[in-house]
Amino acid sequence: MFRLSDADKRVWLVIGTITIIGILFIPFSQMVLDVSYNYTLRTVALGGAILGIVSGVLGCFAVLRHESLMGDALSHAALPGVAIAFLLAGRELGALLIGAGIASWIGVQFIRTLLNTTRIKQDTAMGIVLAAWFAIGIALLAYIQSRSDASQAGLDTFIFGQAAAIVESDVQLISVVGFIAFAVLALFWKEFKLVTFDSEFAGANGFRVGFFNVLLSTLIVVAIVLGLQLAGVILMVGMLIAPGIAARQWTHKLDQMVILSAVFGAFAGGTGAILSAVDADIPTGPMIIVVAFAIVTISIAFAPGRGLVWTLLRRRGDRKRFAAQQTLRDLYKYAMSHGDTSYPVPDSFIVGIGGANVQLGLKQLEARGYVKGDGNTWRLTSTGATVAKDDAYNQQLWDVYREYSDELEIPLIAEDRQKDIHDMLPRPAVEKLERKLEGMVA
Amino acid sequence: MFALESIFVEILLMIFSREEINAFLRNPQNTATIIGTLIAISGALLGTFLLLRGMSLTSDAISHTVLLGIVVAFMVMTSVFNLSPDTSSPWLIVGAALAGVATVVLTELIYRSGLVKQDAALGLAFPLLFAISIILVSRFVEDVHMDEDAVMVGEIGVAWANTNSHCIENCLTITITPDSDLAETSRQCTNCRELNISPRDEGAEFREICSNCGTYSPGQAWQAGLLEEEPILVFFPKSITVTAVMAIITVLFVTLFYKELKLASFDEALAKALGLRPGMLHYALMILVSLVAVGAFDAVGSILVIAFFIIPPAAAYLLTDRLSLMLLLSAIIGSLGAYFGYDLARGTFLIFFEISDMLAWLNNIFGLGLIEEWNSSISASMVMMIFFFFLLSWIFSPKYGLISTFIRRAGQKSQFEDQVVLAHIYNHRDMEDAREELTADTLHEHFSWSNAKMGRILTRLKTLNIIRVVDNIVELTEKGEQRVQHFRETRLASELA
Repeated sequence: MFRLSDADKRVWLVIGTITIIGILFIPFSQMVLDVSYNYTLRTVALGGAILGIVSGVLGCFAVLRHESLMGDALSHAALPGVAIAFLLAGRELGALLIGAGIASWIGVQFIRTLLNTTRIKQDTAMGIVLAAWFAIGIALLAYIQSRSDASQAGLDTFIFGQAAAIVESDVQLISVVGFIAFAVLALFWKEFKLVTFDSEFAGANGFRVGFFNVLLSTLIVVAIVLGLQLAGVILMVGMLIAPGIAARQWTHKLDQMVILSAVFGAFAGGTGAILSAVDADIPTGPMIIVVAFAIVTISIAFAPGRGLVWTLLRRRGDRKRFAAQQTLRDLYKYAMSHGDTSYPVPDSFIVGIGGANVQLGLKQLEARGYVKGDGNTWRLTSTGATVAKDDAYNQQLWDVYREYSDELEIPLIAEDRQKDIHDMLPRPAVEKLERKLEGMVA
Repeated sequence: MFALESIFVEILLMIFSREEINAFLRNPQNTATIIGTLIAISGALLGTFLLLRGMSLTSDAISHTVLLGIVVAFMVMTSVFNLSPDTSSPWLIVGAALAGVATVVLTELIYRSGLVKQDAALGLAFPLLFAISIILVSRFVEDVHMDEDAVMVGEIGVAWANTNSHCIENCLTITITPDSDLAETSRQCTNCRELNISPRDEGAEFREICSNCGTYSPGQAWQAGLLEEEPILVFFPKSITVTAVMAIITVLFVTLFYKELKLASFDEALAKALGLRPGMLHYALMILVSLVAVGAFDAVGSILVIAFFIIPPAAAYLLTDRLSLMLLLSAIIGSLGAYFGYDLARGTFLIFFEISDMLAWLNNIFGLGLIEEWNSSISASMVMMIFFFFLLSWIFSPKYGLISTFIRRAGQKSQFEDQVVLAHIYNHRDMEDAREELTADTLHEHFSWSNAKMGRILTRLKTLNIIRVVDNIVELTEKGEQRVQHFRETRLASELA
């Protein structure tokens, strides 16, 4: 029987929600934003969505391998390949893509060789390839421009991306090549997973790490090359890694992350393309990036468990609770030193010691009915006194535990003084502690 | 800027004559090489610290996002202050510096969330800022001079033509007011555009305007034919001034804060403990990187400039371990690249080699029909030359180069083999199984090596007079004995301890 855990259910819920929002966005854009779905827009939106899937899936691996900026380096490194392919074969999309792929691929190998043979770090190695390959490409383009016979129209689109130039055959090409890339990914899924997360372990177990590294970078190169026409050299890195980074926030499982990343990528690509059609002046590639970044922002803020918003709320709650506890202890101690739990504690004294935190704590305690203030002094109520007394006793038991756990043969546990020791230790053990404490007091 | 330029000119005039200066700067090669060298020096100095701090690619990000600063500053200038758009305005530079800092801050914000790795944070931040700037450009800025070629490759080849003129003699500044004799007046329709009527329409109202009023600098006045005597002028390319200022600021920064930068790059915790404020230094560095990126924007474009930041320091990093030497070497490598780059763009590789010969050869062999004349982008060629020097230092570096590493590793390998064999002989000599273990013909079997390999090693050891073969049994000579003893006493002992 196949059962889903809560976390799994959440991921599938997100996937479903995004898909539904994506589908609903089409009628929304038609009715509210007045987008007309002509042939160009349909092609571009479809192309954007498919490209989002391809780069989203393969980008996950770039993100997980800490090679996010590889996308940046490799998209720039494609340029000389494009130029040489143009020189040899003319303006033939297939040839240009193959040229781009070969040039980026050589770039990857150059980076790996540099890393293996010198002390140069990865970021520098990527920067070298990025700049040098791009310069070679620019030099070749300038040479091509100087030829009188050939117009180099169309090569610029590789640098800045020109979504409007995408036609149906391009979309077909992207789909077919993307499908092949997925097939390879599925075939070597286990190996890729191992190489990505623990390549040393993989090597020790006889997997050919080098081969799979090269294969995986080849797949990433494929995704980049396919995306160049839409997003352009500079924005391609965002297209590649943003869906993966967003997906990473929602799940700890690779398969879920890849599927989620594909959905995010498709959403960003599709809606970005549609949004850019709202006004003729909005370029498509940058709009896709903006949508993708919005998804990342939402994911970082609201992802369950690790989202920033939850973390901040949790921290605030912790701070309040801590302040209340600390203030209650201080009040109790002061009152007890005068032998009376309801002894009034001067406001100036207690605030003077602890400052802002005490005021926060007093507010909490007052709301819970543990203390009462008359403006100048604070008194523990009877509930407050009981709670404070229990807490003090609890702390004393913890002190005894720390000191005598060995002697009393009490099992070792992680000491957490915020918790009631009765919940942490078995009954007989606590009784031993209590007897010990009584003995010490007496 | 103009005042500073005048000082440059004054200094130059002390050494050279006016004609010499003008002739020198009017040569595109000289101007391009000077600009390239100045960019290379500032890039190399800053890039060295970026490399050591592991943030080489930050220069990549910043060089892209300065575009956002330029665009926003441009929009603010034109729409809020109603200033005329001018690409060399200090506001654009301020905007660019702010954008550079914004990139770093945004990256750090994303990274500090603890949910995204550093490289991914950078990869998110700068495409976003770049995307926003492209959307702004295409949506709101109509006639900005920002064509794609300029962004990609810059205009270093024509930098010589964009000059300020500095007058030395016969300097007359002419101001024409509507009252003066020289004023030319014409009539302009004041309400035509408003009412959408033609000037011939009856309702059209006119006013007199002066078409040539304004202040003329000596150079402009001479061109407009307002002067009788030709002023003596020095023409100074604007880009040289901008890049020179950048270079001077960079050199000053690095010399003044050398100690602090060094410490902050190698041991940030100690720098902090000593009260050196590495955080401030970090942002100062980022602002300088943005300034250099925007200063070089006109000359070499926003992408190629990162080559000047990254490649020369990387080459120098392979050549030396000393920071001061690394700074010097990377500046030299960058400058050499700029110098030879111009030749490369014009078809000559390192003085001797003509690219057209290679193209002709390619045509002959493969019948490609390529044009044999090579005339290419200057800035890209400079980067290619820098990359060439990087390859040279990678291959030939005495300490970290491919060749020296190869030789060192080969040496270590043979040394290891020798020691293993010697230890084997030492352990088994005079033992009962010596005949079985030390027979020269079958020795290789005990190591699972090939016979040929063992033969090679034995020959080597024999020539060195470390072992000898007696009666088909290998044994140690006196020298070999000593060597094994020495090895056991020094190396093994130290490893065991």
